[in-house]
Amino acid sequence: MKRRTFLQFGAVGAAGTLTGVGGLLSWTPRARAATVSAVYYITDGYVAQPDGLNVYFKGYSGSSSSLAVPGAPLIAQEGDTLQITIVNTLNSDHSFVIDGMVDSSVIGAGQVQTVSFVAGSPGSYLFYDALNAPYNRLAGLHGGIAVMPAGSSNELYPGSPTFVQQSIWVMTEIDPAWNDRVRRGLTPDTTFTPRYFTINGRSMRVPGSADYGNPDIDSGYHPGTRLSGSIGDRTLVRILNAGMATHSVHFHANHVEWLARNGEIRPDIWKKDSLMLPNNRGSLDVIYPFEPPPDAHPAVTTGHYPMHLHDEMTQTAGGGLYQFGIATTIAFE
Amino acid sequence: MFSALKLKPIQMMHTGGGGGGNACYTYPDAPATPGLTTADVVFDRSAHMNGSITMDDGRTVRMWGFNTGGGGMGGGGMGGGGGPFPSPAMRVTEGQIVHTRLTAGMMNGTHTIHHHGIEPSTENDGVGHYSFDVNGTYTYQWKASHAGTYFYHCHTNTVLHAEMGMYGALIIDPPEGPGTLYSGGPTYDVEAVWACDEIDSSWHALSWTAGTCGGDVGLNDLNPDYFVITGVDGAQSALTDPGVAVTMNTGQRLLVRYICAGYLPQRIDFGGLTATVHMSDGRPLPNPIQVQSLEASSAERYDCIFQPGSPGIYEVTVEYLDWVSGETLGTARTRITVQ
Ligand SMILES: [Cu+2]
Ligand SMILES: [Cu+2]
Repeated sequence: MKRRTFLQFGAVGAAGTLTGVGGLLSWTPRARAATVSAVYYITDGYVAQPDGLNVYFKGYSGSSSSLAVPGAPLIAQEGDTLQITIVNTLNSDHSFVIDGMVDSSVIGAGQVQTVSFVAGSPGSYLFYDALNAPYNRLAGLHGGIAVMPAGSSNELYPGSPTFVQQSIWVMTEIDPAWNDRVRRGLTPDTTFTPRYFTINGRSMRVPGSADYGNPDIDSGYHPGTRLSGSIGDRTLVRILNAGMATHSVHFHANHVEWLARNGEIRPDIWKKDSLMLPNNRGSLDVIYPFEPPPDAHPAVTTGHYPMHLHDEMTQTAGGGLYQFGIATTIAFE
Repeated sequence: MFSALKLKPIQMMHTGGGGGGNACYTYPDAPATPGLTTADVVFDRSAHMNGSITMDDGRTVRMWGFNTGGGGMGGGGMGGGGGPFPSPAMRVTEGQIVHTRLTAGMMNGTHTIHHHGIEPSTENDGVGHYSFDVNGTYTYQWKASHAGTYFYHCHTNTVLHAEMGMYGALIIDPPEGPGTLYSGGPTYDVEAVWACDEIDSSWHALSWTAGTCGGDVGLNDLNPDYFVITGVDGAQSALTDPGVAVTMNTGQRLLVRYICAGYLPQRIDFGGLTATVHMSDGRPLPNPIQVQSLEASSAERYDCIFQPGSPGIYEVTVEYLDWVSGETLGTARTRITVQ
């Protein structure tokens, strides 16, 4: 049984430019399109859940001996050529798909395949395994990709409201019975009943619990997930739903500017504190403005707040353990 | 880190029945409010865990909630006699400094009040594991900066406590007062608050410890069997309940403050009437939209203006949708009668 050391967010393959310091996506725009390369190893293994249960996953991983769920995020700009090499280390067929951009078709057991494609319209996309749908995707074969407008470092789409930093949140639900059927090469035969809920592969921990504050395990401290900023540090959050359930994303301390849903630019920018995240590869793009919390008296510029899903079943693990689910910390530094 | 705040989990109790003695993740405290000033308006609330509502099929479902009053330890303001569902509404005016004085702890467990959509300091945000769960009396101090529709709810072990009914409406009127949605926004003659919620009665047999003291208590799996509008069973009663159903005259303007108070997605259909949605989540829309139905997810609010041009009886349906399949799990109904 392989055990994950921990997710190697930002350490995938050959491309050091893919992700940056601090866990947030970093990006330097270029005048010209370039080729962006990455290698993912399709591997499997077990990840311990908050109640201690080891659950089987497959992932797009950074090496043949590790397991990453989700796969490390990709970032490119519109017009770039993406060259993604998939090394399937498993005994089952898998694929690599980005809707509207690329479909590797079947990558057989033990095969290596490189797909080459042009980054399409700016926005936030899920890459995933479309075979044995939706089971392979739910077993962990998914990740996020950000496509920046050409030559831009601070917009979601040309002319969008601007940001100073950006992050990807890939959310999913886990029914361990389904993952176990996938492990055995069988089709799940029970109603999907998720028992664990993760953001970027991690669940929240609370003070006093084991692993609280461990940035590799606690989604409230994982630097690619936690939002940290000072007043004015407007943060684009690309929220992707790899799971099967419709969710409600709730931000404390600031309303967000809602820019896009399922990749479609909103006709007007609404300010929202709670937003519907569509299921089955749905997405939201929002800017968290890091403004002084407007209802504080006396006024404050620092503090710690949650982002959590408001369909509160997602805040549990293993049928209990409140606040060990999809949540993170928003830190006003 | 959380240097300004005490964050010590207290092993208050252990799970019963030889369940393994897991710690309970709770943070009981009742500190002084930072920067406490004089308030323009004060709400006293005490937590209770022994209310109930009777459904149209005759069954009684246990509810928890907040009573008005308080001040005594243990939330004994109502002498342990339960309380209303939903909890009493709060209504304030934009610009006011508000004190929400919560009394909880002792016999009725620790609880908090989070004013959903209100964005105060960490101490006053009412999220237990970021500050404290109230054990005694704490004064939440905040400023009502934006007119609109909000709600307040307990944020201790929220998955259970909010489902148990620990929530109430919170309305901020603009300086013009009730009758205007927000300064520069539309006016209205008639007003309704529809907080639409689904209830899984099997969860309502759980104790305060469920979900925060370890063990599998099924809180990942909501299977609702009742569907309510503002605390009234939507099977039949909400069609005519005077606190839910609307009677108005042709030419009047109706404001419906729709709150998705459950956990599952909802679809509300206005029975052929057209709603002009002017606000959501306490913020004006740059351009109002016109709809005959809306989909909403947990905790979203939509402020809808209706101006029916002719008399009629319009049946409003709220469908509660499975979060995976999208199929309708239940329906609540009410009416808008235009005379
Ligand atoms: Cu409570
Ligand atoms: Cu809330």
